[in-house]
Amino acid sequence: MAILEEPIKEVLELENYIDGEWVKSESKEVLDVVNPATQKVLARVPMSTGEEVNRAIESAAEAFPEWRRTTPLARVRCLFRLKELLEDNFEELSRVQTVEHGKTIDESRGETRRGIEMVEVGTGIPSLMMGKNLEDIATSIDEFLIYQPLGVFTHIAPFNFPFMVPLWFSPFALATGNTFVVKPSPRDPISQLKLAEFIDEAGFPPGVYNLVHGHSDAAQVLMTHPDVKGVTFVGSTAVGKEIFKTCGTHLKRSIVQTSAKNCLVVFPDANQDATIPALMTSFFGNTGQRCLSGANLVIVGDDDSFYRNFRDAFLDATTKIRVGYGLDESIQMGPMQSPDGIERVNRYIEIGIKEGAKLVLDGRKPTIIGDYPDTCFINASVFDEVTPDMTIAKEEIFGPVANIIRTRDLDETINMMNKSNFGNAASIFTSNGKLARNFRYNVECGNIGVNIGIVAPMAFFPFSGMKDSFYGVLHGQGGDAVRFFTESKVVVERWF
Amino acid sequence: MTEIINTCSEAISLARELEKGSAEFYKNLAERTADNKDLFLSFAEENEKYVKQIERAYYGVISDALEGCFAFSLNPEDHSLETGLAENATFAEAIQCAMKIEEKIIEFYNVAAEQSKSLMADVPRAFRLVVKKRNKRQSTLRSLAGDKNYT
Repeated sequence: MAILEEPIKEVLELENYIDGEWVKSESKEVLDVVNPATQKVLARVPMSTGEEVNRAIESAAEAFPEWRRTTPLARVRCLFRLKELLEDNFEELSRVQTVEHGKTIDESRGETRRGIEMVEVGTGIPSLMMGKNLEDIATSIDEFLIYQPLGVFTHIAPFNFPFMVPLWFSPFALATGNTFVVKPSPRDPISQLKLAEFIDEAGFPPGVYNLVHGHSDAAQVLMTHPDVKGVTFVGSTAVGKEIFKTCGTHLKRSIVQTSAKNCLVVFPDANQDATIPALMTSFFGNTGQRCLSGANLVIVGDDDSFYRNFRDAFLDATTKIRVGYGLDESIQMGPMQSPDGIERVNRYIEIGIKEGAKLVLDGRKPTIIGDYPDTCFINASVFDEVTPDMTIAKEEIFGPVANIIRTRDLDETINMMNKSNFGNAASIFTSNGKLARNFRYNVECGNIGVNIGIVAPMAFFPFSGMKDSFYGVLHGQGGDAVRFFTESKVVVERWF
Repeated sequence: MTEIINTCSEAISLARELEKGSAEFYKNLAERTADNKDLFLSFAEENEKYVKQIERAYYGVISDALEGCFAFSLNPEDHSLETGLAENATFAEAIQCAMKIEEKIIEFYNVAAEQSKSLMADVPRAFRLVVKKRNKRQSTLRSLAGDKNYT
C-alpha cells in the first residue's frame, strides 16, 4: 500500500488574482479549506468583498479591447503554453485535487487530463471561430457572418470537480477573445488557484483572466455587474434556477448546468463482466458526487434468476470497494467532500427506509482503510425494491447510494425515466443494437450512453443536459461553447 | 493477506516496481560480466524507457469517466520477482534467473493488458509493446545461455 506524498506542506493563505497581480483580500471573513480525509487544514480562503469582485470584473473589462484585438493565433499560443505547464505539473495538480476534494488519485488524474483536453480544444480557435460568407446573394452583393467576442464572462464553480469544471468554459472564452473571472468553490479553491498561477506564467496579459474567492455574495456581483456579458454555472438545480432567473433579469446570456438523477439500465444480454466495473465507477466514483453519476440501477425483464444474479454480483462488487484516503493508490472511493454531504446521504437513507425500500447494503458506518477520522467517510449503500415514486428514486442524493429498480421491458423503463424532472444522463447496457437505438432515440436526456458507465462528453462535444438538469440554449465545451462566447455579426456588402 | 490490485495507479506502480527490480538485477549482472556489460546495462536502460512509455500511455488516457479504480484484479504475489543473485552464481545460472524474470514480467503485462482493455487502447497497447520488446530480449538471453564461451 503506497501513500503518495501530500502536495501541500503548510497552510496556504489564499489571495485573489486580479489584473495580473496576486492581491490579498481585505475581507475579515475567512474559511478553512480542509482535507476531508485527514481533516487537516490546507488553506484559509477569504470571502472577498463586493468591491474586490467589482475590481476583478472591471479589470477584465479594461483588458478586453486589447485582448480582442490580439490575433487568434497569438491568443492560442498562450493556451499552448498553458497546456505545457499543466502537463509539466500534472501530478501536483492531481494530488491537490485529491487533498482538497477527497477523490482518489486515479480520479484526480482523470480530472486533470479532461481539464487539459479543454485547453487543447481551445487551441483550435483559429479554425473553430471562422465565420461564413456567400457571394452574390443579390447581384454584386456579398454577405458575411463574423463571430465576435463580447467582453467579460464569469464562472461560478462547483466543489465536485475543482479543477476541470471551470475549464469547460474558460479556454473557449479566452481563445475567442473574451476576458474571464472565475469564482472557485470556497470548499476546494486551491486547484483553481494553481491554474491561475499557470495562466499567469503562460503569459496571458493582465486582466484577461481573474480569480476571486467568495461565496454567494460574490456570485451575485458576478451575475449582475453591468460589464458582465454572460455567466456560466455548474451546481444544484435549486441554485441554478435562481442564477438563470437572475441572469435573465439582468439580460445576461448564461449556461446553467445543474442536478441529475441518472438511470443505468441493464438488460439480461449485457456483458456482465464488463458492466459491473462500469457501474461501480458510475455509482460510486467521485463518491457519487457528480452530475453524471448513476443513481438508479434499472434491471429489466421477467427473468428472476438474472435479476437475482445480477443484483448479487453488483452487491458483491460494491461490498469490496476499498474506501480511504485518495492518496493511497489502492483506494477506490474517497471520502465525501464535507460532513454536509454525509448528512444529506444519511437523510435520504432514512427516507428510503421509511418509504419501504429495502436497504440491502448500509454504508453509514464506514470501514476505512488506514487510520483516518471518519468525519467525511461513508461506505456505499444499496437499496433494493425501489419503486419510481419513492423520494430516493426521484431526488438527487449526490452521494454513494444506488437504488435498484425493476422494470418489465424497455417501454416501461423509458416511460419511467421520461417522467423524471431531470434529463442529464442515462445509459443502457445491452448487446442488442435495436434496444440501444430505441433507448438513444426516446430517452429525454442530454447525454446518452450505450454500455458506458459515465457518459462524459469529450471536450470537442457539448456537455449536454435537458429539463431540470440544464437551463440555457448552448452548452459548455466544444462548438456550443464557441458559439456561446461569440456574437454573430452579419455584413451585407456592395461596392459601387 | 495480500490485497488484490484494482486501481490503475497501483497497477502502474507495480509495473514500475517490476521494471526497477529487473533493472537492478541487470546492473548487478553487468558488474559481474565484463564481456556482456554493455548489453546488460542497455537492458536496464530499456527498462526505464518502458516505464516512461507506460506512464505516458496511462497519463494520456486516464479519465474520471473510465473504470480507473475498477480496472484490474491483480494479485501482486503472482507477479513478484526473484532478483537476488547468489555470490557464487555461474553465468549460466544468472542467465536462467534473467529468463525467469523476463517470463514473469511478460506474464504480468499480458494479464494486465487483458484486464485493462476498457481503458481505451493505449494502456494495453503500451503493455503489449513492452511484451514484444521483451520477447526479443528473451531471444538474446537464450542465445547467451547456449553460448559455451560465456560459462
